[in-house]
Amino acid sequence: MTMESQEPPAVLIDQASKWYGQVIGINDLSLAIDGGVTGVLGPNGAGKSTLFKLMMGRIKPSQGSIRLFGVDPWTNTSPYRRVGYVSESEKLYEWMTALDFVSTLARLHGMTREEATERSSHVLDFVGLSDVMHKELGKFSKGMRQRVKIAHALVHDPDLIILDEPLHGCDPLARTSIMSVIREMGEQGKTILVSSHILEEIERITEQIVILHNGRLLAIGNLHAIRDLLDKHPHRILINCEDPRSLAGLFIEEDPIFGVRFPREGQLEIHTNNLSAAHSVLPSIVVKSNQKISSIENPDDNLESLLNYLIKEGQ
Amino acid sequence: MEAAFGSGDGDDEATAVVARSQASLGQIFEQKYRPWDGELGPRWMRNYAIFRHHVYGVFTGKGHRQYHPMVRLLILIIFLASLTPIPMLFLSSFIGDQGGFFEKMWGINRYNLWGQVLGYFPRNLCMWPLLTAIVVGGMISDDRQHGTSAIYFSRPISRLDYTAMKYLSVAVILGFVIVFSYFAYYTSAIVFKSEGWAYLADTLPIFLGGMLAGIILVITYTSIGLALSSISRSRFFAAIGFLSIIYGTKLVSLLVELQFETTFMYALSPYDCLAHLGQFLLGIPSNYEHPVSISAVSILAMNSLAVWLLVSRVTSLEVTRE
Repeated sequence: MTMESQEPPAVLIDQASKWYGQVIGINDLSLAIDGGVTGVLGPNGAGKSTLFKLMMGRIKPSQGSIRLFGVDPWTNTSPYRRVGYVSESEKLYEWMTALDFVSTLARLHGMTREEATERSSHVLDFVGLSDVMHKELGKFSKGMRQRVKIAHALVHDPDLIILDEPLHGCDPLARTSIMSVIREMGEQGKTILVSSHILEEIERITEQIVILHNGRLLAIGNLHAIRDLLDKHPHRILINCEDPRSLAGLFIEEDPIFGVRFPREGQLEIHTNNLSAAHSVLPSIVVKSNQKISSIENPDDNLESLLNYLIKEGQ
Repeated sequence: MEAAFGSGDGDDEATAVVARSQASLGQIFEQKYRPWDGELGPRWMRNYAIFRHHVYGVFTGKGHRQYHPMVRLLILIIFLASLTPIPMLFLSSFIGDQGGFFEKMWGINRYNLWGQVLGYFPRNLCMWPLLTAIVVGGMISDDRQHGTSAIYFSRPISRLDYTAMKYLSVAVILGFVIVFSYFAYYTSAIVFKSEGWAYLADTLPIFLGGMLAGIILVITYTSIGLALSSISRSRFFAAIGFLSIIYGTKLVSLLVELQFETTFMYALSPYDCLAHLGQFLLGIPSNYEHPVSISAVSILAMNSLAVWLLVSRVTSLEVTRE
């Protein structure tokens, strides 16, 4: 989400809308993304897949414009030389081996047979499928198929990688290896857009997020920064300590704290509208209380609660 | 209690069986991504990749488009059937049938060359329309049905190139059977009869006329077939639609001719327009009363309409199915 160079951003969406008859897919969305891993979040029907399909020129925006590297992909397919796409449930050529499939698609980028085979072997190895690359895709598990799709998206070494629900239906091992691939690609300096409904996993991949709901952009930016911006929504801090009542007395005198609760024995829940201010006074109060603190948690500072809160606000 | 807790005599000797197979710990692989520093190929290389995927698939599904074994078998049968005059020519030459039955039926002349491409039975009743229907049926409709067109549209391939390569692939497969068999028929006649340059000079213009008629037939059938495939999500309906157009227009035109004694309605039948134009190109008397220019314009109109439909469908195609 930075625009440091003169080159147009990898993704630039300007007031784009997409309607399927009476149903709204994307509603007046404006967005610019360039560099790093960005998570696209939202409940089912939020418009994540529609957004990706618009970017990939599979559907045409009803209104507004989409630009990939400064070019409209619906009318000019040249940006796809620099884009790799993993769709949610793209049909594969079941009769082909993984190597044949990926090299066939590599040749659609204009690679020679030798280049395509060599490069396909490498990306299949990279996603951990080197030992089964000569097996037919029809015999692959869901997780292996997802990894094949990632391999074919990487085969031409794209600058922008779009992954629509890449972890969907995968077993834990496949999830771990796919997340590892995404992180590795992010470290290579590529722009990666990844959508998922498994919020914890997005959290493990990136803190840069775009939140969609009902086709509208709900929030964009750093997960924690977004959370901090929501001052009117109370944050909770859970403290496990020896004497919650004496600690509560100290906290309640402080400005950012507007309420306390004792949910369980040995547990203090403080309510604040300013999480960072609360955290800045927290160490001094803990020292002042002179008691042992076993843990401090921010139950609202995770993706799920943020999403729930934003969706409620958006309704 | 003793029994319940197992804490008594013999407990020291108690054994337990533990499954020996170890739980899989998963696969550990070296996850080192190596950027690619090669140059991505030009437009023709990308287009050629689409073309070879479709054409090579007729011969092998390994790494190419998969055609159903029955489709491959039918293509082979039609191809072999289209070559049947060749053994007859060989037989004619073998038994020295100069000017006899074999020569008349299968020898090189205007009528036989026309018949090799445009004869109604069996070629344009059974072979060419069926060949077109099975080849063209799923060419675009399969992609629409399964969403595999997205494989192409997510890559630097324009929809026009995608359409053009599909078109070329179908035309090459049909051309291989229809035009190549025609070419093989003509050349084998020269070889078997040991004809010289004078014969070649005499018959070449007729041969070229027939070849041109064959190419127009391939183009027309490809255009109509692909247009139907592009508006359908099912290979069955694209194939049946094509056969219906070819046979339906022929039948209606025939009925109109029988009822009203006019051949004008044949201008709506793709086969008859091609046959009429072919008769003109090979210089044989026409079976139709209306001028050949009407058939030529009709073929042009049919091709234009079909190609327009095909291109407009594919260029506006939204891949919503996944």
